[in-house]
Amino acid sequence: MGDSFSKLLSVNIDFEQSHMFFPKIIMWLLFLLFLLIVVLYGRKFLEDLKAGRKSIRFFEENFDKIRLFGTIGVVILYFVLMDYVGVLFPNTGLGFLLVSIPFMMSLSFLYVHDLNKKKTIIIFLNSIIAPTAAWYILGNLFNITLP
Amino acid sequence: MEFLSLLSPELFLFVVAGVIVGIVFGAIPGMTATMAVAVCLPLTYSLDMVNGLGLLLGLYVGGISGGLVPAILLNIPGTPSSITTTFDGYPMTQNGEGEKALKTGITSSLFGGLLSVFILFFFAPVLADFAIKFSYIEKFLIILFALSVIASLSKKSMLVGIFSGVLGIWFSLIGTYDISVGGNGETRLMFDFMEYHLESGFALLPVLIGLFGLGTILEEAEKGVKDEVQSVNGAALSAATAKTGKFSFSVFKGQYVNLFRSGMIGTFVGMLPGVGGSAASVLSYTQQKNFSKDPSKLGTGAPEGVIASESANNGLTGGALVPLLSLGIPGDSTTAVLIGAFTLQGLQVGPLFIGEHLDIWHSMVVALLSANIAMFLIMFFAIKYIARVITVPKYLLYPIIIMMCVVGAYAINYGIMFDVWTLLLFGVLGFVGSKLGIEIAPFIIGFILGKSAEVYFVKSLESFGSFTIFFTKSPIAVFLWVLILVSIWFSIYSSKKGSQA
Repeated sequence: MGDSFSKLLSVNIDFEQSHMFFPKIIMWLLFLLFLLIVVLYGRKFLEDLKAGRKSIRFFEENFDKIRLFGTIGVVILYFVLMDYVGVLFPNTGLGFLLVSIPFMMSLSFLYVHDLNKKKTIIIFLNSIIAPTAAWYILGNLFNITLP
Repeated sequence: MEFLSLLSPELFLFVVAGVIVGIVFGAIPGMTATMAVAVCLPLTYSLDMVNGLGLLLGLYVGGISGGLVPAILLNIPGTPSSITTTFDGYPMTQNGEGEKALKTGITSSLFGGLLSVFILFFFAPVLADFAIKFSYIEKFLIILFALSVIASLSKKSMLVGIFSGVLGIWFSLIGTYDISVGGNGETRLMFDFMEYHLESGFALLPVLIGLFGLGTILEEAEKGVKDEVQSVNGAALSAATAKTGKFSFSVFKGQYVNLFRSGMIGTFVGMLPGVGGSAASVLSYTQQKNFSKDPSKLGTGAPEGVIASESANNGLTGGALVPLLSLGIPGDSTTAVLIGAFTLQGLQVGPLFIGEHLDIWHSMVVALLSANIAMFLIMFFAIKYIARVITVPKYLLYPIIIMMCVVGAYAINYGIMFDVWTLLLFGVLGFVGSKLGIEIAPFIIGFILGKSAEVYFVKSLESFGSFTIFFTKSPIAVFLWVLILVSIWFSIYSSKKGSQA
C-alpha cells in the first residue's frame, strides 16, 4: 500500500509541456477556491441579499458617474494622444509635455467643486507649471525617456 | 568602513527631500506612503542605487509618519496605519491639546522607527545567513508560508485572501516560461495576438503604479473627489495649533514600556509578509488597552493611545524591510514597490543581498536612521506648516499624480507605450477587483513571488520526481510546514472567535 501511495505522489514532467505544468495547477487551485468560496459563503450571501442586508450594487450609492467615467475617459484620451503626438516629435518628450497640459486642465476642471475665478487661475497655472517642470527636470536633467 | 565613501552629502539631501514629500503624501488623506514611493520611482531611474534608495526610504518613513497629522487634527487617518491614532488623538485635539497630541505622536514615531532600524540591522543578516542554505524546496515553502500568513490575516476571510494571492500568481505567469530559469521558452496564458506585447509578461512597476496610484484615484473619483479638509472649517485647524495644551516630554513618564512594546509589535508585525500598517497599530493599541492602568481613559484622549499607535506604525518600517532584504519577500505593499526599485538597478534581493552588497546595506541602514531623525526634526519644529499642507486641494494633486504615474510606467523599459496601458489596465482592475472583494496586498505579493514560486516548484519536482520531497527534504522543510499549519490554524481560530463575539 505504501508503494502505491508513493507512486501516486511521484510526478514526471515532460519538458516540452513544462510551461503549462504550474499554470495548470494554479488554474485548478483558483477554480477550487472559487467553488469553495461559493459553497461556504454563497448561501449566506443569498440569504442576506433576500433579507435586504446586502445588495449587489457594484457602485457606491449616489456615486459620481461624471467624475468616475470622466476620469477613465480622459485618461484613455491622454494615453492615445500622447502616443500619437509623441511620434510627431520623437525623442524630445514634447508629446508628453504638449498633451499633459490639456490633460491636467481637463482633469482639474472635472474634479473641482464650486469653481470660481481664483480656482480657475490656479488650475491654469498648475496645469502649465507642473508638466513643464516634470518635463524639464525628468526629461532634460535626469534624462528619463518621455513619450 | 568601505561604505563611508558612499555616504555623500547628496544622500542626506535625498533622504530629507524624500521625508518632506513623504510627509505631504502621508498627511493628505487618500494618498499613502505606497503611492508616494510608486509615484516617485521614476526619479530614481537616473540616480545611483544608494541615492535612489535614500530618497525612497525617506519617502517611506515620511509617508508612514505624516498620517498622524490629519488623524489627530481632523479625525481622518492620513494613511491606513494611523487609524488607531484617531481614537485618542482627535479627542485630545477637541480638548485643546492638539499640539501636545501631535508632538507626542511624532516623538513616539521616532522611537518606533529607530527601534525597528536596530532590529533590522541585527536581525536581517542573521535571517539571511540562515536562508542562504535554503534549496528550491525550502524557498518554495517560504513563499507558501508567506501566502498563508497574508491570507490568515486578511480582513475579510482567509479563503478570499488565498484566492487573491493565487490570482496574483496567475497574472505573474502570463508570458514566457523563460529559458534563463530553465524553462522551455514557450508562452502561455494568452492568445496568439497578444504575444508581441506580453512576451515577457506584465512589468512589475506599471502593475504596482496602476494598483496603488491610478486605482486609488479612481476610487476617489467615484466618491466625487471631495476635499474633506476643505469642508472642515478652518477653526479646527487653528484650534489644533493653538498653544493651549503644552507639550513636554514628561508625557512619556511611565510610558516607556508601552513605547517599547508597541515599537516591538510594530516591527514584528511588519516582518510578517504582506501585513500592512493597520494590523500593527491595531494590535499594539489593543495590547495597550489590556495592560493600561486605566483602560477606560483610552479612546477619550489619552496620550498613551497615541503613543501605542504611532510607535507601532513606525516600527513597521524597519520590520517590513527584514523579509525583503533577507528572503526577497516584501513585508508590506510599500516594500513591494521597493522591490521594483531594486530590480530597476539590476539588483536581486534575497538571502545573498546583504553579503554581496555590504556597502549598500550599510548605507540603507544609515539612510533609514537619518530618515527617522529628519522626520522627527521636520515634523517637530515645522508642524504648524505641515498642518496646512493637508488643505492642498485634490483637484490640483490628482492630475499631477496620474502624470507622474505615466512617466514612471513609460520610462521603466525605456519607452514602451504598452507599459502605460498596463498601468491603466491594472488601475481599473484594482478598482473593480476591490469592489468584488479581491484584496490588493495578497494579490501583489502573489504577483511578485509567482514566477519564482513556479521555478522552485517545478525544478524541485523535476529533480526529485515526487511530491513527497516537499515534506522530507530537511528539518527546515518540516519546520516550515509547522509554521504554515500554525498560520492556517490561527486564522480558523480567530475567525471562529470573531463569529462568536
